[in-house]
Amino acid sequence: MKHPSGNSSPLTARMLGSSSISAKLTRMNLMVSGLVLLLAVVAFFVYDLVSFRHNLIRNLQTSAQIVGTNSVSALLFDDPESATTTLKALRSSPDVVAAKLVDNNGRVFAGFSQPGTKELPPTVPLPPGVSDKIWTNGNRVLLAHQIIFEGKPAGIVYISAQLRETGRRALQYLLIAAVILLFCMGAALLISATARRLIARPVIALAETARRVSRERDYSVRAGPHADQDEIAVLIESFNEMLSQIQNQDRALTRARDNLELRVQERTAALRAANRELEAFSYTVAHDLRGPLDAIQGMVYVLEHLDEEAGEEQPREILEQLRNSTRGMAGLIDDLLNLSRASTVALKKESVDLGAIARLIAEDLQRAEPERQVEFRIADLPPVEADTGLMRIALDNLIRNAWKYTSQHETACIEVGMMRLRGETLYYVRDDGAGFDPSKNDQLFQPFHRLHSRGEFPGTGIGLATVQRILARHGGRIWAEGAVEQGATFWFTVKSASSAVA
Amino acid sequence: MTALALAVTAAMYAASPVNRADAERPSPDLVEAAYLYNFGKFVRWPATAAQGPLVLCVAGQDSVNQILGRLAAGEQIEGRPLQVKLLERIDEAGSCSILYVGSAERRAVDAYLGATAGKPVLTVGEAPDFLVRGGIIQFVLTGSHVRFSVNLDAAHRNSLQLSSELLKVAVSVTGQPRTGGLP
Repeated sequence: MKHPSGNSSPLTARMLGSSSISAKLTRMNLMVSGLVLLLAVVAFFVYDLVSFRHNLIRNLQTSAQIVGTNSVSALLFDDPESATTTLKALRSSPDVVAAKLVDNNGRVFAGFSQPGTKELPPTVPLPPGVSDKIWTNGNRVLLAHQIIFEGKPAGIVYISAQLRETGRRALQYLLIAAVILLFCMGAALLISATARRLIARPVIALAETARRVSRERDYSVRAGPHADQDEIAVLIESFNEMLSQIQNQDRALTRARDNLELRVQERTAALRAANRELEAFSYTVAHDLRGPLDAIQGMVYVLEHLDEEAGEEQPREILEQLRNSTRGMAGLIDDLLNLSRASTVALKKESVDLGAIARLIAEDLQRAEPERQVEFRIADLPPVEADTGLMRIALDNLIRNAWKYTSQHETACIEVGMMRLRGETLYYVRDDGAGFDPSKNDQLFQPFHRLHSRGEFPGTGIGLATVQRILARHGGRIWAEGAVEQGATFWFTVKSASSAVA
Repeated sequence: MTALALAVTAAMYAASPVNRADAERPSPDLVEAAYLYNFGKFVRWPATAAQGPLVLCVAGQDSVNQILGRLAAGEQIEGRPLQVKLLERIDEAGSCSILYVGSAERRAVDAYLGATAGKPVLTVGEAPDFLVRGGIIQFVLTGSHVRFSVNLDAAHRNSLQLSSELLKVAVSVTGQPRTGGLP
C-alpha cells in the first residue's frame, strides 16, 4: 500500500500506517455494501424488467383475445364499424400504439391507432398451426392473435405496443439505488466507526505500547485491558505476559550482575586477607626460626670464648641448651611440614581404629614422662574410613595438647570418646587442664595464634590449625568448648553429617 | 415472407367456407348463404330441439339453396352436423332449425311463419316487412352491403335465444331482450 505522503517523516508514515486499519475497515465495508447493493439492484432490475415485460405482453395477449372474441360476429357478418368500436376499447391501454383486424382474406377489416399515431401494425402472416405470435424489437412489441370461432379461423388481431414504461422504471430504479447507496455509505461509515472503536483502537493502543516499550526500554508498561473476550484480548494478554517475562528476566539479570560484583568483592577481600595471613605466617615462621638460631649463635660465641679454667661443667650446660634449641627448631620445622602435608598429601582412605591410635599416643606420653599422674580414659571407638597417617597426626596433636595443658596440675584426666547426635558421630578429646578463654574461641585454630604464653606452655601454635585442615579434608569439622582452668573439650567429626548418612 | 404470406392466405381461403369467392365483391346471394350458415353459431335452440342434425331449410327454389349446399357439406355447428334441405311443402317448415324464406316465396311468408310459429325455428327472410309479419331475422341491403335486423320478441316466441354478439352487428333490433342470452 502506498502512502501519498511518501516523503514525509517516518513517524507520520507510521501513524498513517496504523490508522489505516480503520480506513481499511471503512473501505471494506463500503466496498461490500456497495457491491451487494449493486448486485441486488441489477438482479431486481433484471427480474422486474423480465416480469414487467412478461406481464405487459400477457396483458396484450389477453387484450388481443378479448378483441378477437368480441370481433367474431363483426367479422362473420361483415360489420367493420362494430369491429372498430371493439378495437377502440384498446385506447385505455397506455402501451398499445395501434391495432387492426385482418379477415381471412388478408384484408384489413378494421383498424385503430392512438392519437398521434397514424401507422397501423404491419400485416405479418402467421405460420400454419400457430395461433399466437409475438415479435419484439427493443421496446416495440408486435403481437398477432388468430381468432378461432367454432373451430374455424375468423381473422387475425394485430396489436403493436411500445413498452414505454420500461425506460421510466429503469430510471426510477437507478434513483432508488442511488438513494439506498447513499444510506449504505452512511451506515458503512457508522459501522466502521464502531469497528474502529472495537478493533482498530485496541490494536493502535497496543502498537503504541509496543513502540513505547522498544523506545524507552521500560518493561513495566502494560497494554490497557480489553472489554471483549476476542482475539485482540488474547493478543493483549500474550503481549503483557511477554512483557512480564522480559521484565522478570531483566530483573534476574540485574540481580545476577549485582551478586557477581558482590562475590568478586568478597573474593577479593578473602584473597587479600589470605595474602596478609600468608605474609604474617611467613613473618611468624621466620621469627620463630630466628629465635632459636640467635640463641645457638650466642651459645656458639660463648663456647668459642670460654676460658681454659671454665671447667667441664659449663660447656656441657651450653651444649645441652644448644641441643634444646635445635630440637625446638626441628619441632617447628616438623610441625610446618605436617601442616603442609595436611593440605597437600593425597588422601588414602582405609578403615582406621581411632581408639587404638589414641592408646598408642597415650602410652608414648606416659613413657616419656612417667612421673606425671594422668588418667587416660579411652573408649572403644568404631572404625572410621580415613587416612591413617593424617588421623594419627590429628589425634597426636589433640592428645599432646591435652597432656601439655594439664601439665601444671598434679593429677589430670584425659578422655577420648564419642557420642551420636542426630545420625552424626561426634568424637571428643577432653581434659581438665588449663582450659581457655571462650571469647577467643575463634582464634584457637588459626596458625601461630597462641592463647597462652610460650613460657607458660611451649608450642609452635600450628597444631590445631593442622588438625582443622586434616578434618576439613576428610569432610569433617572441629570446634572447642572450655573455660579458663575448667579444662577444654575438642569436638570433631571425620565425615560431614550428610556424607555420613550417605 | 411474401411467398409464405400468399401461401397462408391461400390456405385460409381453402379452409374457410364463408368467404370463398370474396376476391371481388361477393354476390348478395353468397353473402346471405354465408350469413345463414353463421347465424346457427349465434343461436341457442331449446334443449328439445338441440339434438340431431342442424337442418337448414330453404323455402322454394332459390339460388341460395345451391350455394348453401356447397357451403354446408360436411360442416358442423356445435357438434351438430349441418343438413341443407329444400322445402317442398310449407307444413314441413316446423321441423327446420333455420328457415330461409327467399324472395321467390315472398307471398307465402305468412304461411311459412304460421307453420313455424311457437316452434324452435330461426326464421330468416328477405321481405322488407319480414320482421313486422313475425319473422326473426331480416336481411337488409344497405348500399352493396348485406346487413340484417333482428326481432327479439319473435325469437322469444320461438323459444330461441340470440347471442349479444349477433345483436351487436345487427342494423336494428326490435323487441325486448329476455334474460339468459347467449354469450
